[in-house]
Amino acid sequence: MSDEKSRETEARLRIIADRYGDRLTPEELEEVRKALEANLEAAHALRSIRLENWDEPFSVFKPIRRRRV
Amino acid sequence: MRPDPLFMPVRELSKHIKSGRISPMELTELYLRRLEKIGPNYNSVVTVTRKRALRQARREEKEIEAGNYRGLLHGIPYGVKDLIATKGIPTSWGAAPFKDQAFDYDATVVKKLDQAGAILCVKLAMIELAGGMGYRQPFASFTGPPKNPWNPDTWTGGSSSGSGAAVAAGLVPFAIGSETWGSILSPSSSCGVTGLRPTYGRVSRHGAMALCWSLDKLGPLCQTADDCGVVLEAIAGPDPDDPTTTNETWTYKPRSTKKHFKVGVLRGVADDAQDEVRQNFEEALKVVRRFASVEEFELPDLPYEAITRTILNAEAASAFDEFVEAGLSHKLTAPEDHWGPYARTALLATDYLRAMRLRGRMAKAVAEAMEPYDAVAAPTAKKAATPIDKEFRKVAPGATKDVMGAVGNGCGLPSIGVPDGFTEAGLPTGIQFMGHPYDENTIINIARAYQGLTDWHRRHPPIPETKKRVGGSRLIPLKNTPPT
Repeated sequence: MSDEKSRETEARLRIIADRYGDRLTPEELEEVRKALEANLEAAHALRSIRLENWDEPFSVFKPIRRRRV
Repeated sequence: MRPDPLFMPVRELSKHIKSGRISPMELTELYLRRLEKIGPNYNSVVTVTRKRALRQARREEKEIEAGNYRGLLHGIPYGVKDLIATKGIPTSWGAAPFKDQAFDYDATVVKKLDQAGAILCVKLAMIELAGGMGYRQPFASFTGPPKNPWNPDTWTGGSSSGSGAAVAAGLVPFAIGSETWGSILSPSSSCGVTGLRPTYGRVSRHGAMALCWSLDKLGPLCQTADDCGVVLEAIAGPDPDDPTTTNETWTYKPRSTKKHFKVGVLRGVADDAQDEVRQNFEEALKVVRRFASVEEFELPDLPYEAITRTILNAEAASAFDEFVEAGLSHKLTAPEDHWGPYARTALLATDYLRAMRLRGRMAKAVAEAMEPYDAVAAPTAKKAATPIDKEFRKVAPGATKDVMGAVGNGCGLPSIGVPDGFTEAGLPTGIQFMGHPYDENTIINIARAYQGLTDWHRRHPPIPETKKRVGGSRLIPLKNTPPT
């Protein structure tokens, strides 16, 4: 893992430890770290693809029309 | 001679019900007895809905006798995965913290099956929270590890585990499962039954537990592809309570199996599968070539699994935000589900949105690559049922990539999994046919053509049979022949 990814993992792990550290054992926190690394690998794969400004999220929001009585 | 209804496809059962040779009351009692006696052997049952089932069976029988036959599902018993709401009956989501949860309404899919005259007999076991907390092994359900009827020392697959086991063991003629990523197709393959993952938006999810709003689908597990078409027709269609449902109604159109299809195979899709899975897939393709042209194709290079995985992680984190904040994941059965959800709480919104933006590119790329074909074939799962006491990723660790699952679920494509053989250990394997959005008819017809030339779907595990006698029930050995 690169230094950049490693720093990002540690930063996120600190946030999780701050928020939930009292419920997680050191072994569980280590598992969380591995999961963070996997999530970051995925995020970096996504970030490696160039997107254009107009590439919208593929989800459709439909405003709800007024109900006519 | 009275027909033996056990393992009879819905279409055949319905003929006997319509003609009066099989009574819905007797049929319901048969399946209730099997669920109560045999279901626990496989940890496949959460709640048998006996009172509701008998009340409904009585009503349907009277209606049929009065000449008001509603259609192929009238008087047919069925079960639903226990993440689907049923009025006044617990809906546990497979999870100890929710084991007493009950809703005061029926999910749309249950209402639709009710309207079709089908008889709800059971809420079926599942992996806790549909596997959304990152489980790694079968003992991830408060009802125990779901055992495979083909070999109880192996797993059913998940997360619609009870739905797969119950159909395989002849505990219900059909069941409803759900899939976010693999949860219908995996038990379909491991349990040797036919499972249909419909197009995203084809079936209302109102009343079903949400894991990932933009990935969740409900669909049937049945004895045959034809039955999947029959059930899908009953449950498909628009629902104002689920804004993601398509406005189109859907009609099942079984076609002559003489039609010649074009089937694509993603280059190398079975290369990392277990040897026997790959061999059975190659044999299955030989059968497919009798009614279809088969050719290899390639997908452009995109991070398919990263896209769908990131969407799943982000939406699941949000869907269970309150649950995780309250520390309730620590009350789940699988130890890995205790800490599993925490890493997701640190996902960046920009990464989720990037995945959603790339999803559009993925959908276009896949639509273009699949354009020449009626369907794409692949092994339904890359490994046969794994040992009940082992982490499933550690069994055949090479066979964990799932581009078909990432693409199929990420793009909302329908897919049907059908049995295509057995391993030497007698465990089922399967082939899936994944199709174009909203074109379930084509993949069902391809699967029907395949099942017309094979008999894998007519083989059943050697399970005990309950036989009614005065004063109670007893178990006697079943005469079904195991695979050879």
